[in-house]
Amino acid sequence: MSSCGNPQSTDADELMPRRLKFGRSRVCVRCRENPGNIVIRHAVYCRDCFSPLVTMKFRKALQPAINASAGTSKRPRLKAEGNLLMAFSGGLGSSVLLDIIHSTYFSGQPPVDEDGNPVGGKKHPRNASVWPSASVCYVEVCSAFPGMRDRTEEVRGAVEQYPSFEFVPLRVEDAFDKSWWEQVGGAPSAFQLSVDLGIGNLSLASASSTPPDLTPVESMRTYLASLPTPTAVSSAIQNLVRMLTLHAARSRGASHLLLGTSLTSLSIGLISSISQGGGYATREELQEEWTPSGFGSTETSRPISIVRPLRDVTMKECAAYAWWNDIKIVGRDKSARAIQGIANLTKDFIVGLEKDYPSTVSTIARTCAKLAPKDAPNGNCILCQRPVQHGIQEWKSRISIRSYADAKLALAAHTHPSSQCDPPAQPLDPMPSLTPRLCYSCHTTLTSRSSRGLKTTGHLPAPLPVWSKQSGQSEMRDAIADYLLDG
Amino acid sequence: MLRRGDSDPETLSVSVQVLTLSLRRSNHCSLVRSMAPASCALCQNAKAILKRPKTGQQICKDCFFYVFETEVHHTILESSLFKPGDRVAIGASGGKDSTVLAYVMKTLNDRYNYALELFLLSIDEGITGYRDDSLETVKRNQQQYDMPLKILSYDELYGWTMDAIVSQIGKKNNCTFCGVFRRQALDRGAATLNVDHIVTGHNADDIAETVLMNIMRGDIARLGRCTMICTQGEDTIKRSKPFKYAYEKEIVMYAYFKKLDYFSTECIYSPDAYRGHARAFLKDLEAARPSAIIDIIHSGEAFEVREEVKATQKAQQTCIRCGYMSSNELCKACTLLEGLERGMANSVITDRARKKINALGPAPDSLRTIPHYRSPLPVVSVEAPSHS
Repeated sequence: MSSCGNPQSTDADELMPRRLKFGRSRVCVRCRENPGNIVIRHAVYCRDCFSPLVTMKFRKALQPAINASAGTSKRPRLKAEGNLLMAFSGGLGSSVLLDIIHSTYFSGQPPVDEDGNPVGGKKHPRNASVWPSASVCYVEVCSAFPGMRDRTEEVRGAVEQYPSFEFVPLRVEDAFDKSWWEQVGGAPSAFQLSVDLGIGNLSLASASSTPPDLTPVESMRTYLASLPTPTAVSSAIQNLVRMLTLHAARSRGASHLLLGTSLTSLSIGLISSISQGGGYATREELQEEWTPSGFGSTETSRPISIVRPLRDVTMKECAAYAWWNDIKIVGRDKSARAIQGIANLTKDFIVGLEKDYPSTVSTIARTCAKLAPKDAPNGNCILCQRPVQHGIQEWKSRISIRSYADAKLALAAHTHPSSQCDPPAQPLDPMPSLTPRLCYSCHTTLTSRSSRGLKTTGHLPAPLPVWSKQSGQSEMRDAIADYLLDG
Repeated sequence: MLRRGDSDPETLSVSVQVLTLSLRRSNHCSLVRSMAPASCALCQNAKAILKRPKTGQQICKDCFFYVFETEVHHTILESSLFKPGDRVAIGASGGKDSTVLAYVMKTLNDRYNYALELFLLSIDEGITGYRDDSLETVKRNQQQYDMPLKILSYDELYGWTMDAIVSQIGKKNNCTFCGVFRRQALDRGAATLNVDHIVTGHNADDIAETVLMNIMRGDIARLGRCTMICTQGEDTIKRSKPFKYAYEKEIVMYAYFKKLDYFSTECIYSPDAYRGHARAFLKDLEAARPSAIIDIIHSGEAFEVREEVKATQKAQQTCIRCGYMSSNELCKACTLLEGLERGMANSVITDRARKKINALGPAPDSLRTIPHYRSPLPVVSVEAPSHS
């Protein structure tokens, strides 16, 4: 063994041991008795110790967000201000979420007296649930993908395993359905807000150029078809689902909306969001509190905490938990995965990287948790309701010159090398623009083109989701009032 | 080597192939080859001959030059990078970025009367078959742009060439040595030129890649500063990236259409696997949506490290051995050099390994060290361009 630099040594104990995939021993690091069944980043766990480990991480992530004011107690009694809504996609993370929430907070029976009634009465604080009621919201997206199967009934079957949960099925086209909007407490509105995505400045369409009454499905398809890239389509669908779920939570008086985002999915979401210009909302990607505005009663206007209790549990751990606890996974349709957009590219990249560099996903999440937005926000985005940064358009026009209409360029025009390239006169656009009310990500979603050129969709104005009217209704209505032909 | 300075048909053919490969490697932005000739989306007069990678617009050659240069000008103005009379060193490797940077800096300096005194500063890492050839390009640039040139070598400064380092440590981790040594060498070279500012050719792709890399490896300190256009330590010269928003593809296009003379070979010692993954990922993102590069930079500019986290970061200090800025008692360059000198170079890459080398005892007195850094030094004479 001369190559190790210690030729005198013949003792095997003195040789450098090979690094093992697991820690020092094959015995569970927790109970130190049973042989290990799973390796989680070099630590070995047995099956019996593994599930409590996952639920412990789950509770540690969730419980600090439950009580608005815990007082000075180190272990405050858990009591949420409102109801609970869980977002369910049929995937691994949300299936594990439902199971743990049910087994931890809804399956325990309070002690009963001789007559079978809870000791102390049903309203005794000890016998009350953390949340008065719990619902599971599923948004069916099959209308957005040709040939995709409707899986609402399969999902209903999976949710019905948990009798304490109420099933709330929604469809992605509800985002364009006035009747659904009124049903969830939104203000009724006669006019349809549309935007012309063929024009760079995103002019709101006047009543005369707005397409005739479309069904919600047609509106949604027109909206998605007018988006410039597959990335934009995938991002728009994700945002529609998110906003539908938020409004469902609001309308049901929820104080907490739980998502089944695992650590792996969280890291993918963070990198994907940053790659689409969403750096300003990195904090919201991790933990968010949404305060609805413009809705009447206090119960449906209370802030909703959006919590990801599986944020410290990797996808591998979720899979093992689901397998060992016999959790039925409905699964997700592959059509959505076929979109070659930034979200799916990021997923492939992170999942691939995790094999060679297993700590990457947790590093990404931990690093992003140390970040904060640089400046105070300038209102909320009309589409995603996340904070809007100041000066987005100035920044974009400074770093990418798209026309010679810019004042700075007009000043410098005399230095233009080509006498043929005089700045052309730009036609004045009489219609108000959606641009100032969008965050960087949503503006990029609507405007950033593919390298293959602009899609030609016949330039029909794209209808906007119903909540965009609520967000900017009064200002926008004033702005376009002169162009509206009816009420 | 890509040389478009002459009209040799064979060279021209090679050049076109290299450019076509560079531009078409990952997507379709490039020279416009549509059936019907479109007019330029900017001036509306001339025929469009290229599709801009950054915006997707089909534009003419003159408008491309104009917007490319004007965007760099806006970047310089917006950040107030220079003041009249500043002495500015352009970090020149002979590659496409630094060659285009030297050309654009000279153009803008003349066009907008920046009143800057420009220098070329090159670092010779001592990589046979790579740096020696690229330095020949820099020497030609010196003549073409009529700028003084200073070349500082690793051998002169550290007593080691990269060839010698690689022969001791192998190719793995050699980029760590090269990167750390180059950063300090640039500052030392700039100090000898007595300049106020160093500009480097880092482009938008480099910055977007660095943002992703720093998030993925949890380097919060670098993440906080990697999108800054200008960085300056307490004891170092200002360093800026005027091409911060310029796409790599556009830099190649600019060099091609301007017929600039640059050296296009990849470094022979650059197998940085992790960075390679990040770069490949970025190229995929760019192919999916070209604005991804600028969107990542926007993200990087939109967030900052939280105040309570900043408070836990190490304060900057001065290296006790060479006087250069450092976050530890010994700067990284001195640590790496000590490892090389003691024949334990691989033991000083990580902090944990560094503790092991410390446990072996103090460095011997006979150890070769880096000369003490003083900034700025008096002006020294540099090689002036000869007008032959």
